[in-house]
Amino acid sequence: MDHLIDLRGVTRAYQRGGETVSVLDGLDLQMDAGSFYALMGPSGSGKTTLLNLIGGLDRPDSGEVLVDGTDLAHLGGSALSRWRADHVGFVFQGFNLLPVLSALDNVLLPLQLTPLSRRARHEQAERALALVGLGDRMHHKPRELSGGQEQRVAIARAIATDPTLILADEPTGDLDRSSADAVLELLARLNEELGKTILMVTHDPLAASFAHRLVHLDKGRLGRIEDNPERRPTAGRPA
Amino acid sequence: MFRNLLAHPVRTVLTGGSVLLAVFLLCFLRATVTALTSSVEQASTQRLWVQSAVSLLVDLPLAYESKIKQVDGIEWVCKWQWFGGYYKEESNFFAQFGVDPETMLKSYPEMEIVSGSYEEFAKSRTGCMIGLDLQRRYGFKVGDRVPIVGKIFPRKDGSPWEFEVKAVYRTTSAAIDQGTLYFPFDYLRESIEGGSAWGDVGIGVFLVKLRPGADPTRVAAAIDLLFDRGPQRVQTTTEAEFSRQFVSMMGNVPLLLQSIGGAVLFAIFFAMLNTMLMAGRERTRDIGVMKALGFTDAVVFRSLLGESLLLCLLGGGAGAGLAKLVEAGLQRVMSAQFPGFAIDAATVGVGLGAALVIGTLAGLGPGWRARGLTPVAALREGI
Ligand SMILES: Nc1ncnc2c1ncn2[C@@H]1O[C@H](COP(=O)(O)OP(=O)(O)O)[C@@H](O)[C@H]1O
Ligand SMILES: [Mg+2]
Repeated sequence: MDHLIDLRGVTRAYQRGGETVSVLDGLDLQMDAGSFYALMGPSGSGKTTLLNLIGGLDRPDSGEVLVDGTDLAHLGGSALSRWRADHVGFVFQGFNLLPVLSALDNVLLPLQLTPLSRRARHEQAERALALVGLGDRMHHKPRELSGGQEQRVAIARAIATDPTLILADEPTGDLDRSSADAVLELLARLNEELGKTILMVTHDPLAASFAHRLVHLDKGRLGRIEDNPERRPTAGRPA
Repeated sequence: MFRNLLAHPVRTVLTGGSVLLAVFLLCFLRATVTALTSSVEQASTQRLWVQSAVSLLVDLPLAYESKIKQVDGIEWVCKWQWFGGYYKEESNFFAQFGVDPETMLKSYPEMEIVSGSYEEFAKSRTGCMIGLDLQRRYGFKVGDRVPIVGKIFPRKDGSPWEFEVKAVYRTTSAAIDQGTLYFPFDYLRESIEGGSAWGDVGIGVFLVKLRPGADPTRVAAAIDLLFDRGPQRVQTTTEAEFSRQFVSMMGNVPLLLQSIGGAVLFAIFFAMLNTMLMAGRERTRDIGVMKALGFTDAVVFRSLLGESLLLCLLGGGAGAGLAKLVEAGLQRVMSAQFPGFAIDAATVGVGLGAALVIGTLAGLGPGWRARGLTPVAALREGI
């Protein structure tokens, strides 16, 4: 059976103060398209490292990272850049919007790498912002928005080019409960209504409760993948 | 790039402003150097100068004139003698020469009379012709009697010499200044011979006007040969070389000005580099984000380099524009020492070129660093 994500024997170690610290050690992992995964584990267990490998931001020391049929471990620098632009949307804990650009321009940024016309890019960016409920905040700068709004702009940026895979690294880590819930509901909707595959790192059990499946990572070893027994029903608004 | 510059308006304005000042200064210095050297470049090829082979400070015998005139290819000769006096106070320095009025003006097609009459000057014994700049500086006008204290040729009764202004000239060439007083050499000679002034009768330089088509090198060699066995050897040079002697007598001012220009550029380069390094550092996170989104290393490199160039060219453009704007005012101030001072296209080009080079050099380092950052490292570092 084909998986969207297929990791085989992946190792990744860092040099720190002359010592080699092994973070991922012979990891195997398969994930299916169209599902919403929560990646959980204690701090320092290698969650971000794993996410970066899957997103093509980093390369493994050994092993294969197959995403949508492409082996990322063997792509060159600019091919990898190209691949990222086409296939993944990133959402970070710290939002990472460009402070000098308006919300709209931030969302337009990844669209600059597409062959779309200027008008089509604008339409798509505005649609993405409307989808996250910020159609009326397009021309605000990041610092004029709340944390929750900033993260929704970041999500709009992640989906602007319509990638299949969305990778979110602790997207609610810097948010209060109600903003966090809004962001999580949004991710769940993207999964349900647009069929996006979502991999979200979190150590918040409440956040994890939005996912279909829970992946546990501990000391570079994969624990279990389980179906989420107590999955929260989403608000279920019609599309 | 524009938006990044606008994100730190104070820093952008300060850096851009310093580039502006640097380019303005550079334009000014270059215009000065050009004015100096153009006196050499615009020198006439129709005039030769005969001076003592020993030094400009040694006079030649009066009798040399008739011998020089016999050389083939010479149209006429004009005597020049350095008077070396001053007006009222020693600090009021300007050049005075005793010359032959019959041949002086016609040796200089680049000179024109703006007031008074040259014929009056040529006819007079104690008249003088002054440059327009002297009229502007001291208010001398036609009919005024200008007292000049003779240092080399003092009058025996201790009084200053007096020359009545008969004509005022201006020039159309950077090679000739507008700040000299000319009087008839014969007045000086007669005063010395008649016993009313101290000094020796001699000639500092002979100005030789070539016949059209005459070969300057050949004529110069012929004159030099004439006095090869004395009594006093001469050195004949083209006007260009003659001017060059004067320029180098100014203690190599061009080199000094060029070094100042270089130092200014150097300082500005470091200010600019600092700004770009700061910009590159504080945008580490943004660079990581751009790369994560799929922008290639080359694009990131270009955007930082472009930002540096943009800032430098904006500052440099304003600097060159300012120089051009105040050109007329500067000309008024500078014309006494530097006739032909002008902010020309080449000068503007040099200013903008310097801005371009600084922008490129200052953008390369930070751009290269940004290029080499991996997105993971940039995002980790930028948190
Ligand atoms: N670029 C790096 N250089 C050195 N050590 C790193 C680097 N990235 C991560 N690490 C280390 O690897 C371990 C796993 O990090 P990370 O993947 O960020 O864990 P998590 O996201 O689960 O907290 C941590 O001990 C971290 O300090
Ligand atoms: Mg992490």
